[in-house]
Amino acid sequence: MAETLLSVRNLTVAFQTRRGAFDAVRDVSFDVEAGRVLGVVGESGSGKSVTAMALMQLLPEAARVSSGQIHLAGRDLGSLSDRQMRSVRGREIAMVFQDPMSSLNPIFSIGRQLMEPLTLQLGLSRAAARARAEELLGLVRIPSPPQIMRAYPHELSGGMRQRVMIAIALSCGPKLLIADEPTTALDVTTQAQILTLLRDLQHRMHMAVLLITHDLGVVAEFADDVQVMYAGRIVERSPVGALFDRPAHPYTEGLLRCMPPLEDEDPERLPAIEGNVASPFAMPAGCSFHPRCPYAWEACGRIQPQAVTLGAGHDAACLRHGVVPA
Amino acid sequence: MTAPLIRADGLTKHYPIVSGTFRRRVTGAVRAVDGVSFTIRRGETLALVGESGCGKSTTGRLLMRLVEPSSGTVRFDGTEISELDARQLRTARRRMQLIFQDPGSSFNPRMSVAALIAEPMRLAGVAGSARRVRVQELLPLVGLAAEHANRYPHEFSGGQRQRIGIARALALRPDFVVCDEPVSALDVSVQAQVINLLTDLQRDFGLTYLFISHDLRVVRHVADRVAVMYLGRIVELADKQALYQTPQHPYTRALLSAVPAHRPGAVRARIEALGEIASARAVPPGCRYHTRCPAVMPVCRTDDPALTDLGGGHLSACHLTRPAH
Repeated sequence: MAETLLSVRNLTVAFQTRRGAFDAVRDVSFDVEAGRVLGVVGESGSGKSVTAMALMQLLPEAARVSSGQIHLAGRDLGSLSDRQMRSVRGREIAMVFQDPMSSLNPIFSIGRQLMEPLTLQLGLSRAAARARAEELLGLVRIPSPPQIMRAYPHELSGGMRQRVMIAIALSCGPKLLIADEPTTALDVTTQAQILTLLRDLQHRMHMAVLLITHDLGVVAEFADDVQVMYAGRIVERSPVGALFDRPAHPYTEGLLRCMPPLEDEDPERLPAIEGNVASPFAMPAGCSFHPRCPYAWEACGRIQPQAVTLGAGHDAACLRHGVVPA
Repeated sequence: MTAPLIRADGLTKHYPIVSGTFRRRVTGAVRAVDGVSFTIRRGETLALVGESGCGKSTTGRLLMRLVEPSSGTVRFDGTEISELDARQLRTARRRMQLIFQDPGSSFNPRMSVAALIAEPMRLAGVAGSARRVRVQELLPLVGLAAEHANRYPHEFSGGQRQRIGIARALALRPDFVVCDEPVSALDVSVQAQVINLLTDLQRDFGLTYLFISHDLRVVRHVADRVAVMYLGRIVELADKQALYQTPQHPYTRALLSAVPAHRPGAVRARIEALGEIASARAVPPGCRYHTRCPAVMPVCRTDDPALTDLGGGHLSACHLTRPAH
């Protein structure tokens, strides 16, 4: 049994906005084991990014953790002071975002931005930080590091910027890397390069990765385990193979089926999931997915389903979990 | 064989690069689209695929003359678009419409759905009563309810807003629709609905589509023929079957192999496209792809390969795939 690095229990994140209050993350529990990749799949409003921000303790002002605990290597992150949390960020958990341009500071050179965590967090001298920064740029396979150290973010392509962000995230040797849609803004050939790089680094540094994405293809290639989120809740979780072979939640099944095939026979019409993503201000009673679910029973509109274990590490929160055909 | 609805010949758009503070002068050009030729048959879907910056959206806008070409011609149903005066162009444009990636950002938030859908008709001089009738026809066609007419765009989800965008595009009963990344901004579970809607509408109204997308899965589902663009040029053009089963150009192969697998363990042999797309400001000499091509030969660095028919309308621009003389 691998060692549990991150443990989230009954996490609920509440938002207070001008249009009203709602819970973006609802009673979410999961573990990430050291050195493994957990994929979190969901659409807009599923709560996947808010979960990540809660882990980093970087929620926006309108949001707060209204219940639940987050433990990282046994420490309760909610009990840490701001100062303690600052040293956790970077050294223990680091994050890569979708759009590297908005995370990099446009007026500082790449070198300065890479060296900053090394001097501030790790206390390296300038010379040592410079040497380490160039090493990190080499690690993320950026050609001619000394030249890139002097460059500014706008001088780099999207793929190069994302490599720089990964180098910054890895600079203090985190145990957990949160990657929030790290390749969504990139072209497909660049996406393939970045995913290969991330997988390689994850192996070499024995890091755990929480990979947030809407793309099941990215999960299929990169994750060990997957959890599917819908409307703030985890609806299914599974080792990656079982999820693709035997999806148990109708939402997971729908997501898998509506992806057009690249090699298999192409259906005349795509099997779509009908309806629209549930609005946080008008959350359906019972199972949030029931208005869109082809298998829904009357009870699905009343009862909030609990997770049912279906196999090793595989569970689904669906009253009709046996109904999805194999 | 019917005559094509669209015929583009040598379409080119260069944007000048201007330098100098006091004496402004043109020092170069961004070759956004650089000599692109193709036809689209009536009722057909031609997909234009490629990475960001390859010129696919500019090509779509050139066809509708929303962007003036630097050179080259577009014939629409036998009429030379570049020769039309402003009034004639307005009439011709009723038959050509555009669907955007994110319709929400192009809508006036103060206009109701009915007013948004009626706007193209109002600009075209359609009478108010006829507009109202047409709006009521269009709502169910795109899967919206009659009561949605009096609501405002912010009340709708992304998928519903794209339905409004499609209704707007169809209001004037066009023959030809340029769909520019129409599902890229939508949630995965909603993409399939909108794709099905677009294919239904094409079948019911005999629409002709130029489908611009970077998503090779979606393109395989919707297209009849596919053109692959790289740095302002078409590098391969073929029937969908041929393009996906026997891609010829090394760039097409790299693109296809980079698409994430459908399921774990099904990881395809990946052909690495080396490095990144070159800049349209400094187009490499010879074949534009030679800086990234794993099969590069000396000739590729000096000679620009022409787009050549390999047989059966399968075109490729590559020294490797050029048929022997």
